[in-house]
Amino acid sequence: MNLTALRNFKFLIPALAALSLVTVYPIVYVLWLSLHRKLLIFDISKLVWLENYRFLLVDTRYWNALKNTAYFTGVSVILELLLGLGIAVLLNRVFAGKGVVRSLVLVPWAIPTVVSAKMWEWLYNPDFGFLNYLLGTSINWLGSPFWALNAAIFMDVWKTTPFVVILLTAGLQTIPKELYEAARVDAASAWQIFRRITLPLLKPTILVVLIFRTLDAFRVFDSIYVLTGGGPANTTETLSIYAYKVLFQTLQFGYGSAIALTVFLLVGMITVFYVRLLRGGIEKAACP
Amino acid sequence: MAQANPLAARSPVRTLLTRLAPTLAFCLLVLLPGCQGHDGPRQGQVTVVFKHGKIAGDPESFARLIARFEDLNPDIRVKDEPLPATTDEQHQFYAINMEGESSDFDVLSMDVVWVPEFARAGWLRNLSDVLPPARRDSFFSAPMTAVTYGGNVYAIPWYIDAGVLYYRKDLLEKYGFAPPTTWLKLVRAASHIAKMEPDMYGFVWQGKQYEGLVCNVLEYMWGNGGDVIQAGDVVIDSPQNREALDFMKDLIFRYEVSPALVTTSIEETTRHIFGNGRAVFMRNWPYAWTIFERPGSPVRGKVGVAMLPRFPGHETASTLGGWQLGVNAYSEHPKEAERLIEFLTSYESQKTLALTVGYKPTLKSLYADPELRGAQPFMAGLYEIMEHARPRPVTPYYMMISQVMQPEFSAALAGVKDTEEALASARRQIQFILRTED
Repeated sequence: MNLTALRNFKFLIPALAALSLVTVYPIVYVLWLSLHRKLLIFDISKLVWLENYRFLLVDTRYWNALKNTAYFTGVSVILELLLGLGIAVLLNRVFAGKGVVRSLVLVPWAIPTVVSAKMWEWLYNPDFGFLNYLLGTSINWLGSPFWALNAAIFMDVWKTTPFVVILLTAGLQTIPKELYEAARVDAASAWQIFRRITLPLLKPTILVVLIFRTLDAFRVFDSIYVLTGGGPANTTETLSIYAYKVLFQTLQFGYGSAIALTVFLLVGMITVFYVRLLRGGIEKAACP
Repeated sequence: MAQANPLAARSPVRTLLTRLAPTLAFCLLVLLPGCQGHDGPRQGQVTVVFKHGKIAGDPESFARLIARFEDLNPDIRVKDEPLPATTDEQHQFYAINMEGESSDFDVLSMDVVWVPEFARAGWLRNLSDVLPPARRDSFFSAPMTAVTYGGNVYAIPWYIDAGVLYYRKDLLEKYGFAPPTTWLKLVRAASHIAKMEPDMYGFVWQGKQYEGLVCNVLEYMWGNGGDVIQAGDVVIDSPQNREALDFMKDLIFRYEVSPALVTTSIEETTRHIFGNGRAVFMRNWPYAWTIFERPGSPVRGKVGVAMLPRFPGHETASTLGGWQLGVNAYSEHPKEAERLIEFLTSYESQKTLALTVGYKPTLKSLYADPELRGAQPFMAGLYEIMEHARPRPVTPYYMMISQVMQPEFSAALAGVKDTEEALASARRQIQFILRTED
């Protein structure tokens, strides 16, 4: 490191200090906690090294929560992306009242999650619920082990598709109009245009959407907490909800931290995976 | 990192949490409407901070009660601060603050299942001298058991709750049924009336995966002679308990007197159904009564309250609920805090709260009070129910045990596991928890 670099580094110190205070310190502290058997109520705090992680391997409730989380993330993100892409392409056309429709699409995203979860709780009510009325069924949406998680996914799709639409619309607008005109001159079909022009040029935006949505979905807490609290029979219990229960309801800070840390690691891995993809995506988009 | 002293690493966070929590609480306080301001303390006065949940009904009457205490104790000012809205958040609030050894509040109101836990953690002051053994008999035995840990009293029962059976007086009369004393009689009455009346459910209760589910299930288990822990042994998978849990499942699938929606219901869901005249029977807490009797209620004057049914050959049992008052072990004014608790749990205060906001007294003698009985005729019937109330397992591990019972009971009711499997799995996990301490 030469002298200039050293001098420049000094200017980084405030930023680095702030970052370590708000991110590095808590993460290291959680890591440290996760190596303990720490039960607040019994005033037990013992260093047990990897004991918590060993228990994690055999804790069926943990694996069940992981499975639920993965299912929730996978299904909701795919649905949101497909729906969002369709709606964004439609909204990108020129038509009367476009501004109004665009604002209306945003409404579900603008409602706080807890409020919309409460609302959906009533829509899903097997007795007075609008959904059963509409379908003429009497399905116990949130009470049946099969439907509950899917119902939570449905709500998430309803709520977050608008977010996807907004991001993709922004992406669509950066695609030069000339490309479409040229394609039409060449008599390309609508599908060919979408497949050969829209999709490749939208790829970086799609990857950004995927990063945001996957990370959010993977840490899902509030909507499910309100809708089902993890029930019935833990069929909707996600990792965040399990970690919350262990940390704050039973006050097992050691084990709870271990669970939280695995969530952090998994989220980190997903991010790295996407960032790799994204890099490739941008390079390809830049020089097709 | 391995060399770092864990205590040194922990203390800044502790301090930070302790400092932040009151600030957050204060922000909430400022935002919440209806907080009454008291005069600041004068010279020689001590301020006692009282943490409690939202007072049901008219907050004015509670403010007047506090004002009376201040008149009687000119050396003490009381500052009452609201807790977060849900019991989960309240528990979390206490856990975070007490772990930080906060002395920002002096008197705590606590859910009945927290007292042994907080006492075990050393967060509560021993109140055995405030409530000497001779005076303990004047309280119902169930809440007294719940606030006693290791032979010492750590909180004083403030008001009491217990599961009761609501029934439609008019419908039972119309079809010639008496209020059921056993579960099978309830099934018979419920299925008959639900068939005859249009758009009517037989029996609604709380079966969502949450604490309320545990309260419901325990009532069937106790009413069949079962229990969770007996003399230190985990007996949750006893044949009696299996029968009880199977019966609950049968209510939905075999007898079809309970709609499937009970497996997602909490208190308010069922209260709405019953309150709209859509169910013959409901299991709930006594709070719903006053709502049903309000002008404009579709079931006004048509509702009766009875003890929960039981299985033949066994005693009825209701799950104990309610709130207790204790003193923060880190309080700087413990003596003054004790005086406030004594005042709030006194005969006169409990009577005032019963008359104004409908809190059910923990002192047995109040159920014979002529004025109270005149105002609330069902007090007489409630006495017997409260006598049959039973606390959920009184152990500092309760919150963990409940976290085991909730999903297992839910799994049995939802048919994910059969009853035997669910209860056996619960037994193994509870045994594991009870071994934690050694």
